Amino acid sequence: MKNLVLTFLLALLVVLTCVSIRRMVCGTSAGQKPALVAIGGDPVPPVPPPKK
Amino acid sequence: MGISVASYGLQYGCFIIEAGLILYLARSNQLKTRPTPLLYLLSLLVAALMRAFVLHEYGLASRQYFYVYWSTDFLLVISAFLLVCFFFRRACRHEEKMWRFVRLLLVFIFVLILGISGLVFSRNYKDLFPYFVFEFNENLYFTCLVLNTLLYLLLQQIDSADDQLGLLVCGVGIQFAGPAATLALVHLTTAERFAQALNSFAIPLCTLGMLLVWAYAIVRVPDTASEVARPKVPVLAEATADLNV
Repeated sequence: MKNLVLTFLLALLVVLTCVSIRRMVCGTSAGQKPALVAIGGDPVPPVPPPKK
Repeated sequence: MGISVASYGLQYGCFIIEAGLILYLARSNQLKTRPTPLLYLLSLLVAALMRAFVLHEYGLASRQYFYVYWSTDFLLVISAFLLVCFFFRRACRHEEKMWRFVRLLLVFIFVLILGISGLVFSRNYKDLFPYFVFEFNENLYFTCLVLNTLLYLLLQQIDSADDQLGLLVCGVGIQFAGPAATLALVHLTTAERFAQALNSFAIPLCTLGMLLVWAYAIVRVPDTASEVARPKVPVLAEATADLNV
């Protein structure tokens, strides 16, 4: 049980690190336009306007 | 003109190397023992061909291209995550206890990524597909990047003798870290035009770099994963035993 909790905490640490790096690199914090990063060199399509 | 020619050259170069590697893996005995690199290469090729076709038929701003692009991106990040899991399995081949821990960790990480990406539902519940897929794909992309770096450190720590795995991990590192670093540069630099041009070339160049490293690893470096076992006696103990003799 202790190992399970420790593994979960480690997984949480890894995921939070990844999300933080993503926010730093892609600039998705409040007020900034997100810059998309994806696998493959094809042109990224523009985001369609949200449905009303 | 010159930029578009170079861009097409890079794209076709990637197609040719991907198809060549898939054929090589399919013809050699590595198909049954190493299915995940083949799955990843197939995903790359299928995604690139589908995107090229839909882009040519419908155009960049079409809804068809938008959905095909993000669906194939979803396929690619899932394949990449499976690939990293496979690399961890291969690295821990002779370390069953470590593999049980790593397996649980990978499951937790995937579930947490799903949960964190699902937080977007609270902000926007009308367009679930695009917003959830943006979040999930990017989060999983950076997770693969971090996990691949951790795997490289693990390989150094356990003093792995599997040279082919080391090169395959380095190849994945080129593909994931290169675009992320370039994108960070785009944000930092003030020369936006130069940075955008660099960014448009960096991702295909990184994919090409990964494919070249993989081609070298698969064709030239012998696969010793099943033969090489880590010595049961720790290296330090072995050295001290020699001194005692």
